Formats: sequence, C-alpha cells, structure tokens
Amino acid sequence: MAEEKATTTEQKQMEERALSVFASEKKEDLTALLIAFTLALLVILFLK
Amino acid sequence: MSKEKRSPAALIVGLILLAYALVLKTQNAALTPSGLVAVADYLKTMGTIGSQVSVGLWAGTIISLFGIWNLVFPSMKSKFDMVVRAPMAGIGIIIILCYVTRYYLEPLFKIWGKLAQPTLGFDMANIFGLNYILLGIILGIFWVNVIGIPGWMQSGVKTARLAMKMGVISLGAMYSITELKYLGALSIVMVAVFVMGTALFVLWLGKLTQASRPLIGVLSAGMGVCGVSAAVAAAPVVKARGVDMAYSIGMLLMVGVVGLFVFPPIAKLVGMNELQFGAWAGTGILNSAQVAAAALIFDPNTIETLKVAEIFNITRILFLPFIVIILAVWFAKGEEESEKGQVNIGRVLVEKFPIFVLGFLVMFAMGSSGIFTPKGMELHGKDFYSFKLDESKEVRTRDLKKITAFIESGAVTDPKVKSALEKLVTDKQVTSAEQTDLVLKAQDFTKDKDLKQAFKTADTKVKAKPKTMEMMREYMMWFFAFGLIGLGMQITWATIRQAGGKAALIGVISGVTKAVLSFFVCWLLIKGSI
Repeated sequence: MAEEKATTTEQKQMEERALSVFASEKKEDLTALLIAFTLALLVILFLK
Repeated sequence: MSKEKRSPAALIVGLILLAYALVLKTQNAALTPSGLVAVADYLKTMGTIGSQVSVGLWAGTIISLFGIWNLVFPSMKSKFDMVVRAPMAGIGIIIILCYVTRYYLEPLFKIWGKLAQPTLGFDMANIFGLNYILLGIILGIFWVNVIGIPGWMQSGVKTARLAMKMGVISLGAMYSITELKYLGALSIVMVAVFVMGTALFVLWLGKLTQASRPLIGVLSAGMGVCGVSAAVAAAPVVKARGVDMAYSIGMLLMVGVVGLFVFPPIAKLVGMNELQFGAWAGTGILNSAQVAAAALIFDPNTIETLKVAEIFNITRILFLPFIVIILAVWFAKGEEESEKGQVNIGRVLVEKFPIFVLGFLVMFAMGSSGIFTPKGMELHGKDFYSFKLDESKEVRTRDLKKITAFIESGAVTDPKVKSALEKLVTDKQVTSAEQTDLVLKAQDFTKDKDLKQAFKTADTKVKAKPKTMEMMREYMMWFFAFGLIGLGMQITWATIRQAGGKAALIGVISGVTKAVLSFFVCWLLIKGSI
C-alpha cells in the first residue's frame, strides 16, 4: 500500500515536471504572482 | 535543449523577432503604406503597430542576448539555466506564433466573416468564436502534429502554464464588484441560481460519468459562467491539460451555436417578448458573442432585447471570480482525498489552495477599489466614462436644437427624463451614467431614430479609454495567447483519441438542461419589465 502511494507520488511529480519548467507548482505560482504584480505596479506608477 | 551541444536556435529566433519589428517600424515611418504596413492596413491592425514594434524589439533583444549566451556557454546546469536560459528559443517561437494569431489570423477571419455574412446569413468569425483564443489552440495543435516540437523548443512549451497563470491573475483586474450594484436584482438572482446550479450540476455529472477532474472543472466553469473565457480562466486552477481545454472549448462553442439557431424560433413560437427572450438568451447561451447574435436574430430592428441579454450576460461574467474560488477548493479537496483518503478542509485550504488564485483575488479587489481607474473616470457596465466638462465632449449644435425642440414640444411624459434632457441642454454634454440610462430607456424619446442617434453620439463622446486598463488588457491577452498556443502544443493526435466522448456527453446534457430550465423560468416568471 505504502509502496503504491510512493509510486503514485513519484508519477505525479514526473507528470508535473513534464508540464512545467519549474520544480514545483508553488514556485511556478510565485513566479506568476511576481511577474503579474510587478507589471501591474508599473502600470499604476507610469500610466495612472 | 541539449546540455552540451551549441544551439543557435534562440539567437536565430531572437533575430527574426528583431528583424520583424525593425522592418515594421521602418515601413510605418514611410509616407506611403507598403509591405507589412500595407497588410496591416488591409487587416485593420494599424492601431496595433506600436505594440507590435515594442514587443518585437524587447522580446527580440532579450532572446537574442540569451541566444548569444547559450551559444558561448552551452552547458546548462543551474536552476536559472533550466528555468530561464533553456526555454528562450521555444518562448521566441511561441511569441512569433502569438503575432501570427493576434495580428494576422484573427483579423483575417474577422474580414472573411464579414465578407461571407451576406451569403451565410451570419458572421462566422463571431459565431464560431474564431478569435485568438481558439485560433491559438488550433495553431498549437497544428504545430505539434504537423511540424513537431524539436528538443530546443521543449522547455519553452513548458512555460505555457506559467503564462496562463499570469493571464488569470491579470484577468482579476478586469472585474469590479461595484458593478453588481448597477444590475437589476432579478438578473443577479436568476444568474446566480443558473451559474452556480449549472457549475455544480456539471461537477455532479462528471462524477457520475467518472470523467477526469480537470476536464470536469473546465467544463463546469465554461458551462456555468461565460463560455470560452471562463474555461480558459479555470484551466490552470484545475490543472487542465491542453486536450481538456480543447474539448471543453469545442463543446461550449458547439452548444452555443446550436442554441443560437434554436433559441429564436422557439421564442417566436411561444410568443416571448423582448425581456423574456433577452433574459433567456443571456442565461442559457454560453458565449458572449453568441448571446448578442441570438438577441439580434430575435429582434433585429431595436436593441431592446440585446440590452436585456447584455445585462444578464455581464451579470453572469461577474460570477467568474466566485466560480474560480469554488473550483480551487473543489480541486484541492479532491487531490487531498486521493492522496490521504480523508479530507481536512482547513488543511486543504492552507496547503493546496493555488497561490496564483489568491493573486487573481487580490487583483480583483484592486480592480474593485478603483486603483487602476485614473482620476475623473468611472466604470459603468463594460465602459469607462469621463464626465468632466470639456468642449471636445459637447453635443453638436444641430443635435442640441433637436433635443430642445423635443423638450419644448411637451412630448416627454416622465419628469425625470425631462430633467435629464434639460441638464444635457444646459451642460451641452452627458454628465452622468444615470442620465444615459434614463434617456435611453425613455420610449417616447428613443422611438425617434434621429434623437436616439444624437443622444448615443453624445454618450460616446464621454466614454473614455484609460491607458491603465488598456495596458492590463494587453498584458492579459499576450499571456493568454502565449499560454494557449503552448497548451495547444501539448495536444497530440494520441491524446485527442484518448478523451472526448465524456466532454461531449457532459456538455450536451448540462447545456440542454440549463437551456430548458432557464426557458421555463423566463417564459413563466418574467412578466412586464425587469
């Protein structure tokens, strides 16, 4: 049972890597947040 | 990209982008339109040349510099190499394909749609949603299945989901909770019931048919809220694969097209009025363009039906943030269940709730607070207005004379409308959104086509286009165009063969159920005015 769960987790991690250049979903999310909010800040600072 | 082999791919792609931007810039500076500018003139994309040049110059320079770096130091070992340097060539190719979809294919289909309209009887580009969203996915599918993804492009394709997430976060800025107060209570209640009802119904149907959770999630948002854009927004929330999105979008558009042709004759058959049909189309048809088209098919002579349908449509779109939250919790809960066999909802929210959805919500709060709206501008419906008195916004003298004559004739029965018109004559321009609403709803005024046109021109003059929102929209469209082409590139014929039947089944059942239920509610419960 434990072995089965480990395989599933491993498989999930591999699927994850196949979809993204990031090592984890969290890192991808944080990068998306950083870029999107930096752009929004620049928009407010320079265009408002 | 191979770790040791020197690959010139990024440099070549970067130089192509730079060359395109420079050629476009040079040709645009010439007195007579030629080459790319002549094409842009034909495609009516002249207004986008500035953006095309600046994106091309920035992206081309950055990718070329990384290209030189990759050529000189081909070894890629660090995390930065894997996340930033390796994907550059693929990113460049996807940016080029974004240009192809946004500035060439979409405008071309728009023109073809209009040209074929007299023969077909409808605008095919509008009805079939042939915009950059759908065309991007199709182009991605075409690329992977016909050209293929070489090794040097693979990392770039894997940045698609990041772009989708950035698109969803930026999308939050396009909504404002304050808009709800301008919408009628009936439209809010009806739409809330149907949006939430359909979304939950799709989740239940998905469980029943044992369809994959990402597919159910995307379909749930698409069938419940507003078709394609909702499906796009929900995709990263439920970790949807490209193929899930392609099937969901295909289904949504097909159900919408069928509704478009079926709704008007049924409504005519049972004798629905403009309000009933507008409410039904705005609730039951999935795609915004198709809602507008159905309203115009039903009532081509006035815009009364269209106005009602649009109110329902806008209300429905405003529910997207709530659906995104529900789906995020539902998906996280499902993952926890499959991993640990039991669910602790508090832990699910802390550990599994997608962080980028919080970004979407923060952006939604920022949009609602008016942080993106420049001083002196207000958001009403889908448009921004600037009511500050200004000569350039003044109504033409001959139109003012017509309106004055109309007031003096005593034809205005409603004192509120009379006072709104008198204020227009005094200020010589529209000064509030309420004034527009009052006047355009007054039938004794709008039945005169000249008067109505005069007022609509006055209303258009106070509409504003804030640069902040234009820029946020531009970013969002680039992120989505990029993400969707990349997702399309993950759809091979093999994955298409694997899925499909369940999306069609769930789509048809939920679409028909929603259409039938909303038909009876609108037909039996809506009487008189909203």
